[in-house]
Amino acid sequence: MADLPSDLVAAGIAPAADEAAVAKAGGWWRGRLGVTIPAVMVGFIFLLCFVWPIIGPVPPPTGGNILNASLPAFSSGHFLGTDPVGNDEWSRLLYGGRASLEIALAVQAIGLVLGGLIGAVAAYFGGWRDATIMRILDVFIAFPGLVLAVAIAQGLGPSELHTIWALSFFSVPASARISRAATLRVREQTFITAARLSGTSFPRMVLGHIAPNILPQLLTYALLGMGIIMILEGALSFVGLGVPPPAPSWGNMIAQGQSTISADPRYVFLPSAALFITVVSFNLLGEGLRARWGTQ
Amino acid sequence: MSSTSAPLSAPLAARAGRAGRLAGSPTLSFILRRLLAAIPVLFGVTFLSFVVMNSLPGDAAQELLGAQATPAEIHQLEIKLGLDKPFLTRYWDWLHEAVIGHLGHSLSSGQSVASILGSDLPVTFELVGFAFVISLALAVPIALVSARKPNGVADRLSMMFSMAGLSVAPYVLALVLVYVFAVKLNVLPALGWVPPGQSVAQNIRYLIMPAVSIGLGLLCFCTRLLRADLLEQMQGEDYVVTARAKGVRPWRVLTRHALRNSLFGLITVVALNLGTLLGFTVVIEDIFGIPGIGHELLQAIDNRDIPVIEGIVFVFAVIVVLLNLAADVLYSVLDPRIRYGRPTE
Amino acid sequence: MSECLLEVSELRVDFRHDGQVVRAVDQLTYSVRRGQTVAMIGESGSGKTVSSRAIMGLLPPTAKVTGSIRFDDIEMVGLGEKAMRAQRGCGVAMVFQDPTRSLNPTMRIGAQIREAIQTHEKASRGSAHDRALELLELVRLPAAQERLQQYPHQLSGGMRQRVMIAIALAASPKLLIADEATTALDVTTQAQIMELLRDLQQRLGMALIMISHDLGLAASFADEVVVMYAGRAVERAPTRMLFSHVRMPYTRALLDAIPRLENASHAPLAAVPGQPPNMALREPGCPFTPRCPNATDQCRAHAPAFEEHEPDHLWACWHPCADGARL
Repeated sequence: MADLPSDLVAAGIAPAADEAAVAKAGGWWRGRLGVTIPAVMVGFIFLLCFVWPIIGPVPPPTGGNILNASLPAFSSGHFLGTDPVGNDEWSRLLYGGRASLEIALAVQAIGLVLGGLIGAVAAYFGGWRDATIMRILDVFIAFPGLVLAVAIAQGLGPSELHTIWALSFFSVPASARISRAATLRVREQTFITAARLSGTSFPRMVLGHIAPNILPQLLTYALLGMGIIMILEGALSFVGLGVPPPAPSWGNMIAQGQSTISADPRYVFLPSAALFITVVSFNLLGEGLRARWGTQ
Repeated sequence: MSSTSAPLSAPLAARAGRAGRLAGSPTLSFILRRLLAAIPVLFGVTFLSFVVMNSLPGDAAQELLGAQATPAEIHQLEIKLGLDKPFLTRYWDWLHEAVIGHLGHSLSSGQSVASILGSDLPVTFELVGFAFVISLALAVPIALVSARKPNGVADRLSMMFSMAGLSVAPYVLALVLVYVFAVKLNVLPALGWVPPGQSVAQNIRYLIMPAVSIGLGLLCFCTRLLRADLLEQMQGEDYVVTARAKGVRPWRVLTRHALRNSLFGLITVVALNLGTLLGFTVVIEDIFGIPGIGHELLQAIDNRDIPVIEGIVFVFAVIVVLLNLAADVLYSVLDPRIRYGRPTE
Repeated sequence: MSECLLEVSELRVDFRHDGQVVRAVDQLTYSVRRGQTVAMIGESGSGKTVSSRAIMGLLPPTAKVTGSIRFDDIEMVGLGEKAMRAQRGCGVAMVFQDPTRSLNPTMRIGAQIREAIQTHEKASRGSAHDRALELLELVRLPAAQERLQQYPHQLSGGMRQRVMIAIALAASPKLLIADEATTALDVTTQAQIMELLRDLQQRLGMALIMISHDLGLAASFADEVVVMYAGRAVERAPTRMLFSHVRMPYTRALLDAIPRLENASHAPLAAVPGQPPNMALREPGCPFTPRCPNATDQCRAHAPAFEEHEPDHLWACWHPCADGARL
């Protein structure tokens, strides 16, 4: 198990290497299929949530007319119907997706950059700096993710931005772990020693030498993490600490739909299905990339 | 020749020898070392929870007194609550109290936080324990069957389903289960909780859906992990070749040889993920109305009941660290390389 | 019951890898009589390990085996899995190179030996335990009783290897294959283990195939030597004959490479120059050509056939060494 990116595993995200076994046995994910199809799906979802509302005939997700409440699917002008307050459900789905994706992207980006840097610094310098940083990271990782996010979010108050902060406390340490492990591996290689000996400054080391070599692994991890972050964001919104209504997010849509689940389950199932499909796509993409690039 | 001593005494002597070795250094020193390593983490974790609770924007005293409060009243309350003392002092004081169980009193009900936790914790433990047991009990056989014929029908199916299972949010699963089993089929209750003391059967009925909601993710995760590790063992390890060379049947090689070694890795990883699992109880308990600490946390947040929130966050953090420690200890007890230490001549 | 316990004819093993086919063993022919010791000598990648694993069917699924391996009048190539399992351990057994990795670290020694016993005969735990004890005493492992309860990491390398031998002998095999069984051990232990194997072989009437890269070892213990290079047998003769009348330039070079006491100290060791060939690229000529002092264009163009040029002495070379060798 030594070669597994254990931190990925530690962060609770889709688990470690099948691909050694899969590659040997001939594989289901072989070739481009493993990456192309999920990539297309992810691209499509992004297009739908970010581009289509701008260019297409999508009514606004809020400020609906109460007289239009709870229209069924395929009503005129509302292809998925409306919610109990009159907002177009299709629009809510798209805008909700946008909110959830925005948050997840931001969180993973922060994790990638900040966490990546912290991990690389820790691994590069080693010694007591490394040990201290690792201890601090251990503390964050030991904390149950959702509880931490909930605690922070409740202190800050519900908003999209605060959700991003709260979830970053989860993604930064996890990403730092991966980055540290990857940097440790890279550090041992001779070209790094050569660069050090020739007096390369630290920023240049990081940008020019270390970053390009750890980036594939970090990116793969970031992609795999999108799924769990979206689920966590959904959980936060579900308990009222994430994106505040009336602005939609898949999480708060699911929460709102809960009360009418027996009468009209679509309010729960539509955002749930959207979330599921999105998370599956990200997971498949991450796994496909990892199989393609191999564990390093 | 060989059997001068009767065969019966041999296992007994061996057992005595084993006990003697256990009481001696290797395991105990390992456990002690792990305990020591866990202490700074415990400090860190409690400090973090204290920081989170106390340094976020928003004046606690002001919150409590409301918008009409005069600055003098606020200041008075601050002194009373000890909020004027330096941060670290407050942490240390709080920690002292917390460790002995003086966690304050609920602002809404007046009940001591410790007693609230006392009644809520066992419920959450039962829920998580249940989820855990179901997941592991299913993960092992599924992984074994998958690893038996890699890329076979069973393998592909299980990998597909486990990928799907990993991608489902626990709260989504919970609602789907409620819709199917409670609303449509009406076989399981959607809300509520019956303690096992009252009726074990009912207790299980109320626990099944929440436990599955939490446990599915863990199940899929463990299945994939175990399968990957089993395959690694079967395809890469020399002792597997030895076993095959003895003429041992493939299924037996898998279960008697590879599985043992794979389970070790599983223990460590599962321990690391228990934190996330516990985290989701917050949402799941809310959906199913289970009176555990997750549900309590949410209610406290709604009521702005700071002492309760603090207490719960603290307990959550400590539990996760202790669980990781327990996993380490378990590992050390089970792995013979650690248990029996260095080679003897 | 034929004299010949094992007859390998035209054995060929191909590996499919990434679309390429690598021929690890090519047209290997040799035989082993009951009670005989045959040494298979070669560098890493020469195919000696692959060919012996083929006998027991222990190759990965990417391997394709053609040719014939007749063991005890049973054709092993293409043998069904169940029948093959019946032969493993019972008919032919193997001792591996690295006893550290070849024993299950989480299983007690006793359990591992008992498994070898109970796979082939219906024995109760108690009687299997007794038999395990006997086996450990047979391989001269001291404090056998205690060792049975211990785990592999609690034993030294030499002891572990003895345990491996005990496991191999558990079902009384007719043929034992020792695959670099002493390579990982220090010289003293090496000698002890080889002595043990020879002693056991004589006592139990077992045939032995010893795989090694060490010609010196073969000289001391083998009846017949098969020299392999690049997947092919290049020379084969009874030991005495091989050493006194070496013919293949490769064998010659191996012999010369053995350090000798009578050489002047600090004299450079005569290593075999060059590298073993890349098995994925098959040249038409003799594979030893780039490293051979006797190489000519004929060698590059046509691979020489492996033939019996003198009674009991086979080789494959266009320009063998002149008769006689330094020893």
